[in-house]
Amino acid sequence: MGVGTYLALAAVLFGIGAAGFLTRRNMLIQLMSIELMLNSVNVVLLAFNRVHSANHEGQVFAFFVIAVAAAEAAVGLAILVAYYRIKKTIDTDDARLLKY
Amino acid sequence: MHDEANQQILLLLIILFPLGGAVVNGLLGRYMPKSLVTLVGVGSVAVSFGLAVTAFVELYGLAGPDVEHPALIYQFYEWFSIKLPRGQVVAINVRFLMDSLSGVMTLVVTGVGGLIHLYSIGYMGEDEGYPRFMSFLNLFMASMLILVLGSSLPVMFVGWEGVGLCSYLLIGFWYENRVYAAAGRKAFVVNRVGDFGVLIGMFILVGVAGSFEFTDINAAATGGQFRADFPFGILGVMPSLATVACVFLFLGCTGKSAQIPLYVWLPDAMAGPTPVSALIHAATMVTAGVYLCCRLSPLFITSDVAMAIIAVTGTTTALLAASIAVVQREMKKILAYSTVSQLGFMFAAVGVGFFAAGFFHVFTHAFFKACLFLGAGSVMHAVHAHGDADIFKLGGLKKILPITRWTFLASCLAIAGFPLTSGFFSKDEILLGAAAQIYRPDDALQHAVGWFTLIGLTLAAVMTAFYMFRLYFLTFTGDYRSADQLGDHPYDAHPHESPPSMTIPLIVLGLGALFAGFLGLPHLVPITGTHLPNWWMHWMESSVAGQPAPEEMHVVNLASGLAFGAMAVGISAAWLLYRNKSRDALAERMPKRLFQLAFDKWRVDELYGATIVNPIKQVATVAGRADMTFVDAIMTKLPSLNVREAGRIFSRLQNGVVQMYGAVMIVGVVAVLGFFWAPRSHIEATFEGKNVGLTTPPGLGYEYRWDANSDGEFETAWADAPETSFEYEKRDVRDVAVFIMNARSGVEKRIDVGKDWVRLPVEAVAPAATLRPDDVGFEVRVDGKDLVFRRPDPPTLLAGSKELRLPMGKDGRLGPARVFSRPVVEATVEVRNAFGNSRRATKEITLPFWLEDAPPHAALMSHGSEVVR
Repeated sequence: MGVGTYLALAAVLFGIGAAGFLTRRNMLIQLMSIELMLNSVNVVLLAFNRVHSANHEGQVFAFFVIAVAAAEAAVGLAILVAYYRIKKTIDTDDARLLKY
Repeated sequence: MHDEANQQILLLLIILFPLGGAVVNGLLGRYMPKSLVTLVGVGSVAVSFGLAVTAFVELYGLAGPDVEHPALIYQFYEWFSIKLPRGQVVAINVRFLMDSLSGVMTLVVTGVGGLIHLYSIGYMGEDEGYPRFMSFLNLFMASMLILVLGSSLPVMFVGWEGVGLCSYLLIGFWYENRVYAAAGRKAFVVNRVGDFGVLIGMFILVGVAGSFEFTDINAAATGGQFRADFPFGILGVMPSLATVACVFLFLGCTGKSAQIPLYVWLPDAMAGPTPVSALIHAATMVTAGVYLCCRLSPLFITSDVAMAIIAVTGTTTALLAASIAVVQREMKKILAYSTVSQLGFMFAAVGVGFFAAGFFHVFTHAFFKACLFLGAGSVMHAVHAHGDADIFKLGGLKKILPITRWTFLASCLAIAGFPLTSGFFSKDEILLGAAAQIYRPDDALQHAVGWFTLIGLTLAAVMTAFYMFRLYFLTFTGDYRSADQLGDHPYDAHPHESPPSMTIPLIVLGLGALFAGFLGLPHLVPITGTHLPNWWMHWMESSVAGQPAPEEMHVVNLASGLAFGAMAVGISAAWLLYRNKSRDALAERMPKRLFQLAFDKWRVDELYGATIVNPIKQVATVAGRADMTFVDAIMTKLPSLNVREAGRIFSRLQNGVVQMYGAVMIVGVVAVLGFFWAPRSHIEATFEGKNVGLTTPPGLGYEYRWDANSDGEFETAWADAPETSFEYEKRDVRDVAVFIMNARSGVEKRIDVGKDWVRLPVEAVAPAATLRPDDVGFEVRVDGKDLVFRRPDPPTLLAGSKELRLPMGKDGRLGPARVFSRPVVEATVEVRNAFGNSRRATKEITLPFWLEDAPPHAALMSHGSEVVR
């Protein structure tokens, strides 16, 4: 399998993630969509690391992304919990304070 | 210009000292002690006067019988240049010239100016604006010296505008007073009207003479270049170029020198401090118009009509202003109208062709009028009068102010023309000029003008003597009418003589008023007929043209008799009516309505207000309203509406929903990616010799490779630089382009040529004006390696009807047009970006040279050898 197949997979995953982030109103689902997009990027990094196999920068970067994603998930979930305590909902349509 | 070696830096320094004084006092004067301000202000003018004397002595040494036009010249630098419609380039140099005319004027300006600066120490020393006053006064001196010393019209015009500006600044010196500020504005606006005339006159002169230099214009006038008719007539009259130019220049003179119709600003200008009235509005600036006429005297004498207009205007102004001065009650107002009247005398002298006599009156007038104004200032200083002094509240000051009194009396005698004072000699010369006109019966116009001028000036001279001694008697004789402090706003009960800084200038000017006239002794003494050497006329000969002085005794006797009689009648009448009196005896004897009319200055201001000022104000009101409603609606309300509505629409995007922001971001990212997906390229060619430089716009991450001759093989490998250069050879030529260049417009037009005949539009070949309606032009086709031209039927204005061959690559002429062919090559570039996408661009390039001809561009420069006619 060539690198193109992996890139296609990554593009599909990223598209699903982006679409999910933009269309869903449930914050939890949105966080999951973000994870999906981050992991699609990981797929790209690993695919190119296979092509340029002399070094492992791509794999190293993928680990970094996983670590950052974990931190992001922790912060995001914490915000979500805090938000739920205030609003008694996790629907993003009710989160419009940015406008003001 | 050619005498660079003989540069006279003195001329520049004369101007730079007062200018430097103005800068120092203007910027730092507030922080300097008063004594330092005085030192800078007065010292700079004193140095300037010293330099002027040095320069004048040098000039005097130059003059001799073998020197035609003695002059000192300083060429500073080339300011800018203009191109005349006929293609001539006229350089405008900052160049200064001191000849006999400007030399005398420089001495008067710096000398009288220096005395008035000295006077200002005493007069203005207590004013809180003293540094500003000194700065303005110095700036005026610098401007006036530029005006006088400038060797060309534009440089003179810089000074002309500069003195106008200083006049405005100094009239409105006490700008907190609205009336004074308005007087300054009036002076400025009225002068603008005149300046417009100077500009138009200047353009006519440069258009004909091809130079702005006074010497060149005068030479052109002497050579008769201005005798031609003006291109279009006025009311069916065809004036000469000289007439139109002179009339416009004279319009400028009427503004600056306060003549009818633009004299109205000068009496109001007395709102300024008295030294200003003396320096600017009596001795120097207002004589600039007379100076200009003398400067261009060879031009003015070529137009009889313009001279007649000047003489009549001057005489009328002299009469009108004198008639107003006779009934005024305020010292400076009387002196102001007297100045207008005396300026009228000067212009009358110019108008009858006695330029040197007119300028002699400028010279003598500078002494006695400056002295009179300073004397008036001394009186006002003594009695603590502000703005102006009512002579009916004064009187008897001869005992209290002896120095002021004696100098004032000397100047009154001079202006009245008392024998052997300066005014006697100069006024005599003017009347002599008018009398000489009468005895030129060959010209009806000059004859009539002569009579009008002689009678008018004599009457004006009577009135001059009368109003001056009315002023003198009411001010200095009798009893001091403010001593008992009765009546409205009486002046200080205990006046005192002025300090020495004020009396010294009075004494010097008073002596000048008495004795300056001996420089211009009459050529022919009346009655006895003795010949005297007239230094003035002799000295002025080299730079001022004019009519010769009459030799007939009866003319001389007539002029002198009239001058003496006028003086005697005027002074005697004033003696009888006003000596030791306190009432206005003349006003009581005059019809009340006539007196009121004269006292209201013949209501000329009201006339101008009704006919010019108010209509303009009404137009301005309408225009202002149109601006506020119509223009503002389009220019401000409509754009603001657009912005508001656009903001309303786009603000909906900012709805606070995170997903909307994310969506906008993604759309943006996709758009940017799409934009950068494919590379862009196009080719620009530059030519340097035979080498053609090819460039394409650079882009981030782009690589380029070139196929400069588009033969399918890339000459360069992929490289980061977006340019290459290539030398084309004959085999690279893809096509030959044929161009035709219209001889008149210089527009090149490419024409498509093929095997079949192609019609060339005749407009491409010849100027439309030379065409006949049936002229159909040329046909052209390619035959082998040649271009073939032929005339279709019928034979036309442009000669030649058989076929003409032009080998490809040769330049040819087609009537007045040029035909040439140029090789066309094709360049290709391939651009590749970081996405790996690439794009090719090709461009046809017309080479600006024929490939076989070795020297590049030579073909464009030279006319071809083959001539098609």
